[in-house]
Parts: sequence; C-alpha cells; structure tokens
Amino acid sequence: MIDPLRPIELALADEGLFYTRDDDEDAYRVAFKSEGDRYFVVSYRDDPTFVMIGSGWALPGGVDAIDAIDVANRLNVRKKFVKTALWEEESDVLFTVELCVNTTGEVRPHFGRLLNVLRDTASEFFDQLREDDAPPP
Amino acid sequence: MPNARELIKRFIESEGHKVDAAPPDDAGVSELLFRTRGQVFSVTTAEDDDAAFSISTAYEIPEWAREPTQNNEALERVHVEHPDVVFTLAHDGSLFVATLDERAQSSQELINGFWLLVSRLRDAGAQAIEDIVDRTESKVAAEKFINSFMMGGGQ
Repeated sequence: MIDPLRPIELALADEGLFYTRDDDEDAYRVAFKSEGDRYFVVSYRDDPTFVMIGSGWALPGGVDAIDAIDVANRLNVRKKFVKTALWEEESDVLFTVELCVNTTGEVRPHFGRLLNVLRDTASEFFDQLREDDAPPP
Repeated sequence: MPNARELIKRFIESEGHKVDAAPPDDAGVSELLFRTRGQVFSVTTAEDDDAAFSISTAYEIPEWAREPTQNNEALERVHVEHPDVVFTLAHDGSLFVATLDERAQSSQELINGFWLLVSRLRDAGAQAIEDIVDRTESKVAAEKFINSFMMGGGQ
C-alpha cells in the first residue's frame, strides 16, 4: 500500500522540519511544528484525492464570537487557498487549506507557499481581531 | 547547565526545526544552521561569552542585478532603516549576508525573543533584495527608454 502522505514528509524534509505520524483506520495524519506553531496534514482512506493542511488556535478569552466570525468571513472572501473557521463552540479558530489532488506529490513543490499562506492568515486574523477590539480613537 | 549554543539548539529543535551543529572552532565560536520559510539561517555563539550571539542569513543577488557599487549603496540605505542589521556583500557581489548581533540578559530572554529576531532579519533582508532588484529594474527601464529615444524612437 502506497503511503499517500509520503510526499508531504518529503516536503517537510525540504523545509527542514521534524514531523510525527498518527495514522488510524480512518485517516493518514502528519503533525509538525514550524517556528513553534503546530500544523497538521490529513488525508482520508476513503477519499484519497482529498488532502487538508491546517493549524488550530485557541481564541483568547473574552473575544466576542460574532466579531471573530466577522473577521473570518472577511478573510474567507479575500484569501487564496485558506479557509478560516470557528470551531468547538467558537473557542478555537481553524485555518485549513483543502485540496483535491491525484497524489500529494503535486503539493510538494508548493508546500512552502501554502505554509506561508496559513501563517499569514492566522497572523492577519489575530491582528484584525485586536484592531476590531481596540477602543475608537 | 547547558551553554548558550546547546540551549539555542534545543530551543530551535523544540520549535520543530532540524539543526545542523558545527563543533566550536579554535576560537570557541560555533555555528548552528537551520531552515525556516525556505531560508537558511545561521546562529553563531562564542564559548567565552554566553550572552552574545549573532544570526545571519544570505540572499543571492540575481545575476543581472550584480552591480557591487550600487548594491553597496542600496545595502547602506537599508541599514539606515534597520540599524541593528549589518549587510555584507560576498562572493564577488553575487550574494549579501544580513547579520544581527544580539546580547541577551539571560538565555531565557534570548529564547523568548528568538523568532522576533529572525523576523527582523528576514524583513531587513527582504527589503534589501527588493531595493536592489527594483533599482536595477528601474535603471534597465530608463536605459531602454533613453536608447530608444536616442535611436529616434522618441516623439
């Protein structure tokens, strides 16, 4: 059986990153960190052409869920590739890139770019949330 | 108690990055190499001074933009905006190295601000390469226009 996430492991090696595997009967999973932030890659056994790269963050305490959804919506309109969603009763925010591929080898040459987009989207999300929370001048 | 080199190495690895560690040279200076966002960074530490270290990264200058005198001027301009980053042209002007020297009060302080320092260095380096490329492109465009004008293409 070919490991569908092997090209992702090679992409992570290209990036100089460590990773761990956590496959089960439903899915293939790779977890890794970059600059201390956690990311994951998932491919499902019953849907091998689907691959998802993502990162999840806890929302800071006191953040209004409506404000967070508003920021997420604005990012979803504007950003290429990345979907921003509130998760787990609005206490987490999830940034994901979801792709349809013949093999994840197609992702390897673009992996650095996709990681950058995920990183930038998370950074913009929290920056905008802070700006929206700031009192008017 | 681990020295600064070992602390930094462990920290970078704990943040997810593979580290190549060269043993200290005769002067007790050692280098750690790691990649982040597609760019290789080098962290230099000295055995006799645990508080001081420097981070460097190199940028290749496109072949068509290798004009050492102008590029030195561009690097000096960017240095004015980023005074903590030192730029050095190397390898006959085919690349430049951006270096940030830092002195931390403690190992913890050094580690807490580590990615911020990497980010400052990356921003300064990116601005420098952009400045070099923009300036060269503008110059090429101006020369094209002047040549075309001199050959009677101008109105």
